[in-house]
Amino acid sequence: MNADRMRDLAEAWGGDLRRWPLTEREAAEQFVRTRPDEAGRALFAARQLDAALDAAPRPVVSVELRDRVIASAAAASLRSHPVWPGLRRLLWVGGAGWAAAACAGIAFGMSLTSDFERQVQLDVVLEQASVGGLDDEAVLG
Amino acid sequence: MAAVADPDEELVRRVGQGDPAAIQAMVARKLPRMMALAQRMLGDAGEAEDVAQEAMMKAWKQAPRWTPGKAKFDTWLHRVALNLCYDRLRRRREISVETPPDRPDPGPAPDRGLLAAELGQRVDGALKALPERQREAIVLCHYQELGNIEAASLMGVSVEALESLLGRGRRALRAALADLAPGANPDAVGARG
Repeated sequence: MNADRMRDLAEAWGGDLRRWPLTEREAAEQFVRTRPDEAGRALFAARQLDAALDAAPRPVVSVELRDRVIASAAAASLRSHPVWPGLRRLLWVGGAGWAAAACAGIAFGMSLTSDFERQVQLDVVLEQASVGGLDDEAVLG
Repeated sequence: MAAVADPDEELVRRVGQGDPAAIQAMVARKLPRMMALAQRMLGDAGEAEDVAQEAMMKAWKQAPRWTPGKAKFDTWLHRVALNLCYDRLRRRREISVETPPDRPDPGPAPDRGLLAAELGQRVDGALKALPERQREAIVLCHYQELGNIEAASLMGVSVEALESLLGRGRRALRAALADLAPGANPDAVGARG
């Protein structure tokens, strides 16, 4: 750090070293300790400008604006949300899919079962009918 | 990437859940900052109110889906408000092609005493007369008190480039306010502390 760099930094970042980049601050603080007159000259003009900047009117928030902004939160539908709304939606959609798949499976299974049962019953009836026929023939000759 | 520590994280979470007290606290914490940013960037209180309100509206929409740790909410909100300011400044430029703007008041003569309000108006006028990027640098670093890395990131420049913008902006301000310097009118600035 030299006097020129100190002046350049003060011109840019102002007279408060806390606002300076961390990478420059330590060297600047050491410069202030070791060469206070030169540092003082560099910082003086910067502090004057800081003070002038602080003299600019401070923008004020009106009560009407504050009320409008608070009301706009309601208009934005801000209300209680779950922690992971996206995940919940995904789970809901996924769950509905699984439920639909399960229903389809059950229906398909039931139709298979009833077809199978119907076939078995038919076979039994035919078999009994043929057996009955044999018996009749055997009995009646 | 390391998670970003955000002092607003808990408040944003509660706002996202619709907590009325958190919404009021958020308004108290952020609305004056957005109003100050917009008014200093635009130099017009009415337009600044519109920008501040729109920025807060976007904050309400963003809060429920805000992911902590990626960025500071305050930095995001500054980005939103700055974009809104630049939209308006761009529209002004398009209009001003046909109607040239009034030149800023050069201010009172050096020998005229300044009241505090007049001094404030002089500084405000000098700030308004700066090129937009220099004004943005000064507003973010001096008035909004953002750190240099944060301000540079918001402006999309390096810290060195930000330093250059600040240096040029502040030199221009000092030249514009030279008549207020010690010798010209020592009481005016000195009284501000």
